Amino acid sequence: MEFLKLTQTSKSLLVLNVLLSLVYFACIAFVFPAGNVPLFILLVISEIFHVWQVFGFVHTIWGRRRDKKFDARFRPRVAVFITVCGEPADIIEKTVIAAKALKYPYFKIYILNDGKVAGRDNWQEAESIARLYDVECITREVPGGAKAGNINNAMTLTKQPYIVVFDADHEPKPTFLQETIGYFVDEKVAFVQSPQYYHNASLNQVSGGAWEQQALFFGPLLKGKDTVNATFMCGTNMVVRRVALEEVGGMSEKSIAEDFLTSLLIHEKKWKSVYVDKVLAAGLAPEDFLSYYKQQFRWARGSLEILFAYNPLLRRGLTWAQKMQYLASSGYYLSGVIVLINALLPLTYFFLALKPLTINTMTLALIFLPYIFIIVYTLQLSSNFTYTFRALSFSLGSSTIYMKALWATLLRRQDAFAVTSKTRIGGNHGKLVLPHLGYIALVIVGVAWGVTREGWSPSMISNIAWAIIYIAAFAPFIAAAFERAPASTPVKKTSVIDTPSNSEVQL
Amino acid sequence: MIQFWKSFAIYAGLVVLVAFAIYFSVNVFALSSLRLDEAQSLFQTNRDISGMLHLVAQDVHVPLYHTLLHFWQLFFGQDIFVARMLSLVFFVGTIIMTYVLANYALKSRSVGLFAAFLVTISPFMNWYGSEARMYTMLSFMTVLNMFFFVKIMRMSGSARWALWILTGIIGVYTHYFFVFVLISEFLALLVVRKKLIDPHALRGVIVGGIVIALSLMPWLYYVYSLGFASNTQPALGVPTAGDLFDTYAQFIFGFQAPIINTLIVSLWPIVVLLAFFALQRSKQKVPQEVLLFVLLAVVPILSAFIISITIRPFYLSRYLIVALPAVFIFAAWVVTRYRRRIAVVVSSLVVVVIGCLFAVQVLSPNTPVKEDYRQVVQYLEGNAKASDVVVLSAPFTIYPVQYYYKGSAKLTTQPIWNRFEPGGVPPYDSAKVAAETKANVDAYQTAWLVLSYDQGYNKKLKDYYSDHYKKLSEKQFSPGLTVSEYRVRYDTPVVIE
Repeated sequence: MEFLKLTQTSKSLLVLNVLLSLVYFACIAFVFPAGNVPLFILLVISEIFHVWQVFGFVHTIWGRRRDKKFDARFRPRVAVFITVCGEPADIIEKTVIAAKALKYPYFKIYILNDGKVAGRDNWQEAESIARLYDVECITREVPGGAKAGNINNAMTLTKQPYIVVFDADHEPKPTFLQETIGYFVDEKVAFVQSPQYYHNASLNQVSGGAWEQQALFFGPLLKGKDTVNATFMCGTNMVVRRVALEEVGGMSEKSIAEDFLTSLLIHEKKWKSVYVDKVLAAGLAPEDFLSYYKQQFRWARGSLEILFAYNPLLRRGLTWAQKMQYLASSGYYLSGVIVLINALLPLTYFFLALKPLTINTMTLALIFLPYIFIIVYTLQLSSNFTYTFRALSFSLGSSTIYMKALWATLLRRQDAFAVTSKTRIGGNHGKLVLPHLGYIALVIVGVAWGVTREGWSPSMISNIAWAIIYIAAFAPFIAAAFERAPASTPVKKTSVIDTPSNSEVQL
Repeated sequence: MIQFWKSFAIYAGLVVLVAFAIYFSVNVFALSSLRLDEAQSLFQTNRDISGMLHLVAQDVHVPLYHTLLHFWQLFFGQDIFVARMLSLVFFVGTIIMTYVLANYALKSRSVGLFAAFLVTISPFMNWYGSEARMYTMLSFMTVLNMFFFVKIMRMSGSARWALWILTGIIGVYTHYFFVFVLISEFLALLVVRKKLIDPHALRGVIVGGIVIALSLMPWLYYVYSLGFASNTQPALGVPTAGDLFDTYAQFIFGFQAPIINTLIVSLWPIVVLLAFFALQRSKQKVPQEVLLFVLLAVVPILSAFIISITIRPFYLSRYLIVALPAVFIFAAWVVTRYRRRIAVVVSSLVVVVIGCLFAVQVLSPNTPVKEDYRQVVQYLEGNAKASDVVVLSAPFTIYPVQYYYKGSAKLTTQPIWNRFEPGGVPPYDSAKVAAETKANVDAYQTAWLVLSYDQGYNKKLKDYYSDHYKKLSEKQFSPGLTVSEYRVRYDTPVVIE
């Protein structure tokens, strides 16, 4: 797995990253003369965010990984939870078969069936599979707490000291437990997380983009977080110590990013976490744009909620390094606003001739290019050159989703926990990228307007170049939205289950 | 057999590139008018060795190229066309060595051939490939030295060290800016020192650098003993960030009119996109030698820029030709990192744009570096009479004018300068303008004021002439090169039977 082959980035290169970002920021904020004041303030805000992200990234990959205590002879009893909520029977079946093939002496498989409380037509399929494969099925009768509630319910009915969680579509490798359980020999280890790998990544644009975004996270980012004991649970492919989970009241039902919040609460209690950088299970990426959109919204919404309601900086019990890491992860979703600010700057120039700075565009280039080159190079070096343009496109394109999530968080709107669909949702999802298409239209009109006003001035050309970059970056994202499902792919509606308030809100 | 045909295709490609360079040099560039710098080269080399060294030392250059040119002219003739052919030899050498270096360093024939192709079609290289100056020799020595340097990075062996030091010595005697090549190489070695096969490579480079520096000492002492009389050089302005990016634009797209230049360099944000494409998912590892090319493409230009804005301006894109082969090798390597379709689109686009701008540079009269002194002289010879005077400013432009001039009108300069006397060009003094103008033109019917290479006072001089004499005509021959005709006297000239 290329994304896991971490290239150790030299510390001098990381220091250079920090220095160049500081120089760049200082020039923008203090050296270059300001132009239009509101635009200047917005630019400075966006640069503060960028500097913070650079610092966060450098902090993440700064540490060197050390071997953690591991004993292959440690063999406690384990409960394997397969969380199900109306997924197709064949998908659940594959996961159960894979789980039964685990090479480990003491484990019991439980299908945690939430299909009934979610009102799924096929909820009984999970029970049939359980009977067929001689595993236990726990079907909830009383809704609440979404996936976290499902796990918490199962915890009350089981006793094993260690719990493994797999999503319905994540098939573990036979060695999963052999590779993970040994870490619990350290009595302070609360959970062990392994990568969330998608075996359908090459299926289409959406699954490819979704995976390539993930690769950065499960590559250098989680490896880096692991060095400062800030790995967080990702909802599947994880093993948790029951005692630790019980100490924080089970999986948190207060957030739709239950795994993220629970990790934070566990770390607060001084527990340790481990990230195993081996692909030990493979699942399904969203295959259609609507599913991807909802998945991103859920993650953004949950993370932003934590940023505002459980601000890591204010939490007691976390180390400074953990605070930095949780803040960087939850704060990432503010990037939606930052992308908006940066993308709008060319438009304000085209239509209003307003600039945040009144400097020669080449002077800006002199400061900006070394800064951006070194960051892009470091990003690629640290991720073994696996971060693709499509991943960048999906990150930038998702800015509208992040903004929507921010808006929902600020308004404290209740949203449904939408399970990412395991089959493709048919239809044209072009309406989800209308803001991006609108941006392109505005750029075209704006260029015509601006050139009519002042001709092909250096500022005009540079702003056109910036707009081209944003359009190029949005292009794969837009293309993915219009991608048609092949005839052979089954088409299905998304599943929506209960939220903490039992409301069902379609995104 | 396939291997044979592959090799054959590569060598055939190189032959085509060399033929292209020779064709354009011989039939287009070498036929252009003598330029100021070339006139200085000829003026310096058309004398005995000691006299030549004396003049070169007074100038800001080192003597190797001039010495070579001196003997080249002794063997092949004194004409400017012949002198330019020496630069063509080095241009061809640069093309071939660019291929050899890129192929060896990056282990890719396609990168080597594409880099050599870019060097061949570079309007910048073609311009200096037929200019009687040391710049293509400098680029040739750069790629040669880098080739031996990469060998040092790869394996140990005394022959490589000797050749690296030898080419280093020749390099620093070709142009002072060669020192930036050595600095870049040193920095590259410093970064990759832990990965080198020869653990003493860094120490060896330091010792080699000291040897090269010591070899230059006799020349520096000679220059010092003459008192650094370098005021024959044109005054250079403090460079801007625009100049820095212009240098890269010139390397790739040649010398273009300001409007085209502005268009090119203002598109800089697109470079971010291209860089990202180059660095995304690829099965090819980044060879450590790439760092050398990156450093050599950046360090000389950035260093010259920083020194020019902080200490003393000496920023000229032609001095920075040391960075050009590295820029093209790096660009060729970057293209191979792209996915095939993107690579084809990007490289085709770059080649088409370079080709078009190559044609613009050749054909457009507005190409900034064109100095058409030959046409000026033809114009003067056809119009200026024995009773007229030709006044040249800046004074050192007398070199190219005098090379062609066979007319009957007297040639003089303003400020008045006798270049055969020791010392540099006298500075402009507004208090002396009236007296110098009177001394220059008073005895003549018509004054032909030839203005070029503005040293900051051409406008003042022109205004003075326009205020005191009647302007009869004005003509521009190339950007910044104008001839104005002024009626000085109204009495009938005395005709001596």
